[in-house]
Amino acid sequence: MVDSFTIRRARKDDLERLVDLVSRLKRLNGEFDSLLTPTEDLEREVSKYLESAISSDDYVVLVVEDGGKVEGVLIAKVVDRCFYKPRMVGQISDFYIMPEYRRRGLGYRMVEEAERILRSKGAEMIFAEFPTKNVIAEGFYRNLGFREITGIFAKEVK
Amino acid sequence: MSEKTEEYYRTAVSLSSFYGGKIQVVPKVPIRSLDDFSIWYTPGVAGVSNAIAKDPDKSFELTSRWNTIAIITNGTRVLGLGNIGPEAALPVMEGKAMIFKYLGGVDAFPLVVRAKTKEELADVAERVSPAFGGINLEDIAQPDCFYLLDRLRETLDIPVWHDDQLGTAAATLAGLVNALKVVGKRLSDVKIVMLGAGAANIAGARLLIAAGADPKKIILIDSKGTLHPEREDMDKLQLVHPWKYELALKTNGERVAGGLDEAIVGADVLIAASTPGPGVVRKEHVRRMSDNAIVFAEANPVPEIWPWEAKEAGARVVATGRSDFPNQINNSLVFPAVFRGTLDVRAKKIVDEMVIEAALELARFAEERGISEDYIIPTMEEWEVYPRVATAVALKAIELGLARLKLSRDEIRERAYRMIKKSRDTLDVLVRNNLINPIPVK
Repeated sequence: MVDSFTIRRARKDDLERLVDLVSRLKRLNGEFDSLLTPTEDLEREVSKYLESAISSDDYVVLVVEDGGKVEGVLIAKVVDRCFYKPRMVGQISDFYIMPEYRRRGLGYRMVEEAERILRSKGAEMIFAEFPTKNVIAEGFYRNLGFREITGIFAKEVK
Repeated sequence: MSEKTEEYYRTAVSLSSFYGGKIQVVPKVPIRSLDDFSIWYTPGVAGVSNAIAKDPDKSFELTSRWNTIAIITNGTRVLGLGNIGPEAALPVMEGKAMIFKYLGGVDAFPLVVRAKTKEELADVAERVSPAFGGINLEDIAQPDCFYLLDRLRETLDIPVWHDDQLGTAAATLAGLVNALKVVGKRLSDVKIVMLGAGAANIAGARLLIAAGADPKKIILIDSKGTLHPEREDMDKLQLVHPWKYELALKTNGERVAGGLDEAIVGADVLIAASTPGPGVVRKEHVRRMSDNAIVFAEANPVPEIWPWEAKEAGARVVATGRSDFPNQINNSLVFPAVFRGTLDVRAKKIVDEMVIEAALELARFAEERGISEDYIIPTMEEWEVYPRVATAVALKAIELGLARLKLSRDEIRERAYRMIKKSRDTLDVLVRNNLINPIPVK
């Protein structure tokens, strides 16, 4: 299918735009759950994280581009589970598409591409992490054949 | 607040007390003797109930349901007073009921509801709908009001209206259609800035787009600035205000960021439905609009900019929500007539095409009398406008296959005129016979 979208690996010069996208993602998580409220210096922490992810071989940072502008990002990493089989899994930790570009099938295409790359790096299973209350993400992943596997419960103890 | 307003407040309180409220229920059948209750009540009424039990739609024919609507509110955004609750909303709903009767011949019942959530309120409306021929939602805070209108329009088979949304949108569209004729521009060509993204302008934007305006040329501005697809709070909006979110995706093709200062440049039309002024819109803003600018400053009681200021700054057509200036954008031109027409053909729904038709008929009416910079919309004193709009809306309902009763244009027009006249004549008779006390002289 020919359209104006390109899915590719992130480059160093994507950093500024990606800091915006990933910060929006963290804030969106905070909208779902107050226990995920971003810190005051969010952009700085996101920038550090992205800089190391983009240049690291362990991470896969994918972007979707429309006419030269990055409108979505997916960050994943291959991890050794050690105790369970299959040991090598790909973990999708961050996934965000700008509002205007949602509901166009781009999400599916990005996960598909991430899957391909993670498989080539040895992953035999994919994990995706998102706030429990994000029913949109839940529906999205279920449609791709994912199901819940572990649960994280939280309580404040300050 | 002005002295005049204070005086109105005092008068309203003392008269409300004097009269003990503003409306009452009156039979519409004779009671010749107590024997007649064998017809109106038991055993006769069982026959009526049986007939309806066999066919519930007969309730529209055999009871007063066909001409009775509920005015439903939870009192969460009443006039400029905010969340004052159901009891405090009651006088406003009574007043609305009076307008429905006086201008539209429609029996309206104020149904103030103590509901904790929008789902609860929608539930109440759905459960009481068998008693009514239609529902008017009123003074409900946003964004709940959008949820309610959308949901009830879907779940009910009686017409549903939210006047703060649709009444204002229709009156605005009517004025705009003629204003554009006066300045010689087309709806699909013009750049429209909408200041305020509350009930009025959200519904207004939706209606303008349905009527042919180019969404990419519309810019909405809320308290945070212009709506556009990359605004910082888009994700939050998707969760808490999907109606604003959808408009943010659709409008502002040039992605103008900032506020009114930035958005107004080169605009052909400004529709302000935001906080009362003056000074919310300034002369510098109007100066930056295109030639032959159209400015609707709809805030009450004080428009965002005084009309003479807008004119001095170069606006060619100006409208406000006030009766003491030319071109009053007034919901009361719309809702009584829309319900009159809808109820007379027992339409199942009020859809956008019917709302647009109401606006177009209002515009046509004014056009027949000769439109100009200072006359783009009928005034409330032009009595014929109500049966005219009622007829247009009824015919549109029939055309769309939404009417349970298919009457001819003349039949509809005749009924509408009669219903409205009757309610006024009735009031006259009551007053003349001292069944309604005259207003006490101080």
